[in-house]
Amino acid sequence: MGMTATETRSTEPQIGRRRFLAWLSGLGIAGSAALGSLATFFFIRPRTTYGQPNRFKIGRPDEFPSGSRIAIDPKRVCIVREGNKVAAISTTCTHLGCIIAPSATGFQCPCHGSRFDVDGNVTGGPAPKALAWYAVTLTPSGELEVDKDNEIQTGTYLSV
Amino acid sequence: MSKEQNSIGKSVVDLPANVTRSIFRNPLPSSDRGRAATSFTNFFLHVQPVRVSRQALRPSYTMGLGLISFFLFVILTVTGVLLMFYYVPSTTQAYDRMLDLRSSVVFGVILRNMHRWAAHGMVACVFLHMCRVFFTGSYKPPREFNWVIGVCLFGLTLLSSFTGYLLPWDQLAFWAITVGTSIAGYAPLVGKAIKFILLGDATVGQEALLRFYVLHVVVLPLVLTIFVAVHFWRIRKDGGLAKPETEAAPKRVPVQVEIQEDAVPIAASGSVAVAAPVRKFTIQGLVRGPLIKVGKLEEDTVFSWPNLLIAELVVLLLTIAGVMLVSFFFNAPLEQPVNVMHPPNPAKAPWYFLGLQEQVSYSAFWGGIGVPGIEVLLLLLLPYIDRGKEGVGRWFARQRIFANSIFLFFVLVNIYLIVIGTFFRGANWQFVSPF
Repeated sequence: MGMTATETRSTEPQIGRRRFLAWLSGLGIAGSAALGSLATFFFIRPRTTYGQPNRFKIGRPDEFPSGSRIAIDPKRVCIVREGNKVAAISTTCTHLGCIIAPSATGFQCPCHGSRFDVDGNVTGGPAPKALAWYAVTLTPSGELEVDKDNEIQTGTYLSV
Repeated sequence: MSKEQNSIGKSVVDLPANVTRSIFRNPLPSSDRGRAATSFTNFFLHVQPVRVSRQALRPSYTMGLGLISFFLFVILTVTGVLLMFYYVPSTTQAYDRMLDLRSSVVFGVILRNMHRWAAHGMVACVFLHMCRVFFTGSYKPPREFNWVIGVCLFGLTLLSSFTGYLLPWDQLAFWAITVGTSIAGYAPLVGKAIKFILLGDATVGQEALLRFYVLHVVVLPLVLTIFVAVHFWRIRKDGGLAKPETEAAPKRVPVQVEIQEDAVPIAASGSVAVAAPVRKFTIQGLVRGPLIKVGKLEEDTVFSWPNLLIAELVVLLLTIAGVMLVSFFFNAPLEQPVNVMHPPNPAKAPWYFLGLQEQVSYSAFWGGIGVPGIEVLLLLLLPYIDRGKEGVGRWFARQRIFANSIFLFFVLVNIYLIVIGTFFRGANWQFVSPF
């Protein structure tokens, strides 16, 4: 009599426990799969790249005469010098990544016809945003260094 | 002693027959019943149904497009594996290896041509196959999910072709991938990360070449194969190719009446399948419920062996012949080696992405991500949006004129954009006339 009552009571939580454990196992497997995917994601996202460094020296300030706009295609920057002010403007088109070239009115992209003014603002074509300006610093050795990981505001020059 | 010798001697004498029997469960059948039994027990044949509807065999109904796509994939796998013996995924060697294919590898040119043209052909055929399935209303229940798998297969085909495009490491390859991956970079939030992971670097270089190579020769073909297998499996499980209503619920005739008895002895394992086909079907019928059509023969069907097998063989031969013919007369393009400093003007993506590039020239986000994203989403959801049951299994059914018109509109717009992007865009993406 008493046994039956105990059994009835104990049956219910047993099913609950089974289901709980099943859910827990399922959660564990799903969690492991998620963590595995995350690990794979971190694995295939490179921590170091083998291409060009994003920080590089470009030479002494006097190699860039005042009023010059010298594009360094391999580095994909254009060095602009006005008086004693120096800046580095990206020459990677913000549209689809083609190399743009300095033109009489600013910059021109050969791929889809985007045009930019001398400060890199879009004046025509499909480019969605202005060209990036990169931080330029003067190293202790007296050389200019461009840091492409450090985008700065348009119109920010370094005085040399 | 002599008994043993006898048994050894007998083993030797029977060896060829025993080996043959261990490989082929049934002797070469000479009757419909035997062929049906063999279809059932042979790995390669059991992929096919034992019987197939006449409609599915009509060239004017399917145009064989799905099959052609599959055979092109087989050709691509074979030629691709052969090309791998000579290719090196290195920025300093890849282009030289392309030249070697021309100058010093026996049949190098024809293999590369076949691989290239079959790849373009596969993109086109998969797309046309999708159009066929749409215009015949073949994505209707119970085939909704197979349509979704088909859309995924189309995407995988494009990705496979796109990743292969970079491998020759010539100007065409480099700039097409530069332009193509920039489009990926436009996706909100994740675009930059996807592009970086895809290229393994900020720009297209050695890392990108290696990554595209691994994707092209291992990852994508593997995933594609799995999807193809599921796609084929579901065709069978969803009751074969879509048929019009009247043919979908035909008069049913018991198996025994249609299958001829034959005197051909059937091997032990085969006889299990033959002796009790009805019972086997019934078990399956119980699992599947009333939807199941096997176990009874539909009136308008014929035996797959030989009817379907011959049709498939003809399509295979025509596909191989077509690819080889094109490859004899047209060489796969190979431009100058990569020069990162000098983008060709205009720099164009592969032709199947030129519609996309044309759209991008109007609006980077909407052309590259927004509109294509909506199009793909619509394609995936299509069978769940269009729930009408009418006009299945017929080309351009009147009841489907609305759905067909919308789809045709999308198809024509995309073809138009591709034609404009391919033939009417010159330097700086200015409009030029090719005439």
